[in-house]
Amino acid sequence: MKRFLSALLTLIMVLSLVSVGAMGEEKPLLTIDVYDDAANYNGIQTGWFAKVIKDRFNIELNIIASQVVGNTVYATRSEEGNLGDIILVDKAKFPEIVEAGLAKDISDKLPECENIMKFKDQIDVFNKGLTGEDGKYYGIPTEMTDTAPDTLTDDVIYSSPMLRWDLYKAAGAPELKNLDDLLDVLKKIHEIHPVNEDGDPAYPFTLWADWDGNDNMIGIANVVQLTTWYGEKLKGSAMLKPDYTFSPLYERENAYYKITKFLNKANQMGLVDPDSGTQPWDTVANKLSTGRADVMWYSWQTGFWNSVDRLNAGTGFIFIPVGDQNYYADADRYYGSDRMFGIGAGVEGEKYERIMAFLDWYASPEGVTFQHDGIEGLNYTVGEDGKFIPYKDNALMDNLPVPEEYGAGGYSDGNNQINQWIVSSICVNPLTGERFAQKYWQSYKDMTMTEMKKEWQEKFGAEDSVDWMKKNGKLLASPSVDFTPAADSNDFIALRSDVNKALCEYTWNLIMTCATDEEFEALWDEMIVQLDGFGYKELYQHDIEVWQPEVDAKKAAAEL
Amino acid sequence: MSKKTRSYVEFLYILPFLILVALMSYYPLYGWIYAFHDYMPPKPISSETFVGLKWFQFIVSNPVRRADVWRVLVNTFAMSGISLAFSWFPMVFAVFLNEIRCKPYQKFVQTVTTLPNFISWVLVYSVAFNVLSSTGAVNTVLTGLGLIDKPIAFLNSKDHIWFKMWLWLTWKNAGWAAIMYLAAISAIDDQMIEAAKVDGATRMQIIWRITFPCLLPTYFVIVMLNLANFLSNGMEQYYVFQNNFNRKTIEVLDLYVYNYATQGRGNYPLSTAISMLKSIVSVVLLFVTNTVSRLVRGEGFV
Repeated sequence: MKRFLSALLTLIMVLSLVSVGAMGEEKPLLTIDVYDDAANYNGIQTGWFAKVIKDRFNIELNIIASQVVGNTVYATRSEEGNLGDIILVDKAKFPEIVEAGLAKDISDKLPECENIMKFKDQIDVFNKGLTGEDGKYYGIPTEMTDTAPDTLTDDVIYSSPMLRWDLYKAAGAPELKNLDDLLDVLKKIHEIHPVNEDGDPAYPFTLWADWDGNDNMIGIANVVQLTTWYGEKLKGSAMLKPDYTFSPLYERENAYYKITKFLNKANQMGLVDPDSGTQPWDTVANKLSTGRADVMWYSWQTGFWNSVDRLNAGTGFIFIPVGDQNYYADADRYYGSDRMFGIGAGVEGEKYERIMAFLDWYASPEGVTFQHDGIEGLNYTVGEDGKFIPYKDNALMDNLPVPEEYGAGGYSDGNNQINQWIVSSICVNPLTGERFAQKYWQSYKDMTMTEMKKEWQEKFGAEDSVDWMKKNGKLLASPSVDFTPAADSNDFIALRSDVNKALCEYTWNLIMTCATDEEFEALWDEMIVQLDGFGYKELYQHDIEVWQPEVDAKKAAAEL
Repeated sequence: MSKKTRSYVEFLYILPFLILVALMSYYPLYGWIYAFHDYMPPKPISSETFVGLKWFQFIVSNPVRRADVWRVLVNTFAMSGISLAFSWFPMVFAVFLNEIRCKPYQKFVQTVTTLPNFISWVLVYSVAFNVLSSTGAVNTVLTGLGLIDKPIAFLNSKDHIWFKMWLWLTWKNAGWAAIMYLAAISAIDDQMIEAAKVDGATRMQIIWRITFPCLLPTYFVIVMLNLANFLSNGMEQYYVFQNNFNRKTIEVLDLYVYNYATQGRGNYPLSTAISMLKSIVSVVLLFVTNTVSRLVRGEGFV
């Protein structure tokens, strides 16, 4: 036994010597710290995406996720003067990072990155807005598109009412003129479908509280999202109306009141999940994928239910128009999303070069394919015409095991944990001539051209939901502009935090505990007094000033 | 060795502890400096960011805000007060536990009641959620029996939240707190009890005349320790149980500070200022207790 062990050890040593020899001039393993405001995972990237990067660059990513370890990590790391080698932060923080000398001037290397520089227009606009006309580069926007600022590529907008087609039909498929009609049909649906297949209770609305106040927007995230059904968009604490004017959130003619009242009525009718105010998003995600919710309102929520099988069976979620609604949608984010990539100020020499090479690959067709489409042979196959065909599209949903050769582990566990892309998934992939996102592939469209979709098209006389909105004049597409809101000072951080806390508390109580309209109105009045006491009016004035430049730019873009 | 050198050497013995106290208890006070600055990461504090008492004024700047701080103080005092008022409970529990004659059963009860102490509050909440949520055990049983037709939202309710929090705390801590008293009970001289028995005392009389009086010194020490923690009644419990329906009555000082520092981008100066408020209240409490002690016992403890 001893002899066997020593033989084994010798073998291992020889092998490792050989492998070191074989690597020859390969660069040593480099660990890159990624300060990441987008990540939901903290630590070293593992699994298949780690292998992809290591094979190409011999790099590993150490992700520092503020969403996981708490936003105090931003304070402590910036006190140390080193946020990370790669910095991915909320756009509003980027100017102060540059000012504090935490981000590197990358003017020398960025122009050599030909994949990133495909978006030169957008990068120039952002950096000019940051430092003026001196031509210096600091930041790289994220999720930029190759379309135009006023194009709307999506066939389903970010938020719209979506019901299960089979249940909607079973409830008589009535025409919905307003929210009251919607409540009536949901009541019928709830009677038809009180429990899911396993016998667990199902409700039309299941809400969650842990996203409240996110993204500097005050109020319940779910309610705020639903206000876009009436063409309104919350900017901080101010409601932007369809005519580009601002109005205080708590005014009764605004959609926040309308939606809160609607959800309260739904609750009075027993249509809201009683756990709504206390359950976290994870629980909701589980309920969505087990058929315990009958309404969806984020376009991506359908990913938890609409598999190809269910679409064929006609039980998928699909947009059902409500007559008096006027849907707000952001046009393609041509100038990118709300986060920025930068390089840490302390990165120098060879490390700098390797990081820039990695980022350029991150924006290359190969890199973007990995990020948006996954692995060939696991998530898609390539047809004879060179175009992609969906394959095992539940890999992410069900965390399918990845074969050894691709790095093993679960697919979802090994997915790109940076969780933010330079190139948007609606860009065209030069390798296939189709967009990166699966839902735009011809092969996927053929697969999902189901009976259900045909019935829908016949009933509503349109190709898809955006087509219906355009034909009926119910779409307010807001053009994309480059805009960085000024960061709050401590005074406004405190005001926003207080106002948000009070507003969320009142709104949840308005929805879940008010049993009569009188009670509702009285509590709403009390809420206004409290919010004003915490300084709502001051915050509102501040937010109008902050967001007015964006509104002006949007107005100008819309008139062009 | 002269007396003088010896005293220097002996001073060296306690030096490590002095350094430890300075490092762990006094050095953090330096952090109070943030309460007087308009500190905002990533910019470090400097003379330009000095704002004096601005954040303290902010806390009391208008009636709504004052009411808010008052509400938090009331919650803190109420919940600490309830646990202080019921601090005799573990003692009584220990006494009755001691009276159980069947030893295996006694050990069983003691183990079962001690175990929750080692469960973190997060797990306690998940137990609570599984038992009390709308699809939890209690609601399932009640609807199954036909007693209710709509699930009761136990966790969403703000009614009697102080008392409920005390119940959870007791469930978690009572067994652990009883250990101290059990030890004290075992130290009671058997001769006294035997003598009482010979004199014909009943069990209740023995408990009342011998056990309780012997436990009182232990009880007072523990009450004293609890008093010191009056304001730091722990935020984990309230953090996991808080939601939009009960926050008004559950938010204690520590949780209030935490929520300020972590909601949105976080306002560090303001949270620091509020946590200083806590130290001030603590010092006031200390002097009050000391005065009371001097009046009652004739000697203070500071």
